[in-house]
Amino acid sequence: MRFQDAAKDGRAVVYAGIQADPLVARAATLLTRATAAERWLARAAMNGERTEADVWRRIFPSLFGEGVATELRERAELILEASLEVANRGEAARSSYRGAVVEELTARLLTARHGPAASDAQVRRERRVLFDGVPAEIHPYDVTVESGARPEVYDCKWGARGINADVLNQLDDARAHAAEEDLRLDVAVVVFDARRSCQIRLDRSTASRAGTRLVALEDLDGLAEPRA
Amino acid sequence: MHEQTEVIERAVEAYQALADLAEAIEDEWQYVNDLADAYLPSIRALAEVDSGRPLTANQVAAVDEAIAEIGLITDPHKAIDWLSTFPHVVALALGGDVDGAVSAGGAGADR
Repeated sequence: MRFQDAAKDGRAVVYAGIQADPLVARAATLLTRATAAERWLARAAMNGERTEADVWRRIFPSLFGEGVATELRERAELILEASLEVANRGEAARSSYRGAVVEELTARLLTARHGPAASDAQVRRERRVLFDGVPAEIHPYDVTVESGARPEVYDCKWGARGINADVLNQLDDARAHAAEEDLRLDVAVVVFDARRSCQIRLDRSTASRAGTRLVALEDLDGLAEPRA
Repeated sequence: MHEQTEVIERAVEAYQALADLAEAIEDEWQYVNDLADAYLPSIRALAEVDSGRPLTANQVAAVDEAIAEIGLITDPHKAIDWLSTFPHVVALALGGDVDGAVSAGGAGADR
């Protein structure tokens, strides 16, 4: 098994520009150390119809209401500001930005687990996994942890609706091919959405997924913790 | 409690309208109905949460503002996104939870 950069077609080049936008890095940095409530704020505001900050402050009194500690309120303000900037990129672009934020957030949490200088477990983006005698997958993985001892691949989704048979089958196929080479490949789908909604989606899927881990919005901090 | 029941009833009505809009996406009909079947009882149950003190005006305003937000949605694709988001936003505003019992089947959800 080996990792390889994905070839960049025109769409990938455009998307790479979005991934490189400082707004994506700023939002991901803020969400890396956010609480679940703050992540719900980000999800709601980035999905929202209205982009007036006061609307969102009223919807989240536990973050902006009277009695909230100044430090927490200031952090929520920064998250709201970044989220509304994403929303203000327009309908066509915001879905790409949201996806890029989830990917960057995943990569940052995984880097926090391993440390940025870890040479034996590099966190990479947009990589393919190749197996001897197996045709290459069509879609690269959003985030990979390229460890010789225990590699990991992650597909990232903004919403539970993004979970589909193609995603689950690709992850499970990779896990199975690695097992054929006597390697343990951890595969997971990261979804910036409610665990319950993801589970509802998964419960209707007939794709093989027994070895695929779900990391939902409520579980994100676990990405930064050592694996069992 | 009366005010709590009333604001939850408004939230339930708004959520049902959102689900009706989302049903327009035929390929997602099952998912939309699964979400509604799961979350509608959970939203209703928020009316039973007894924190020992009445809701504040800010909590009621938060739910009404969230209801207003989803009332602006006309795109059924966006409605699907909000079917998952709205219950959690309402629960956060009221200090409750809508997670319910998550199915134990399927992919190692919390492996």
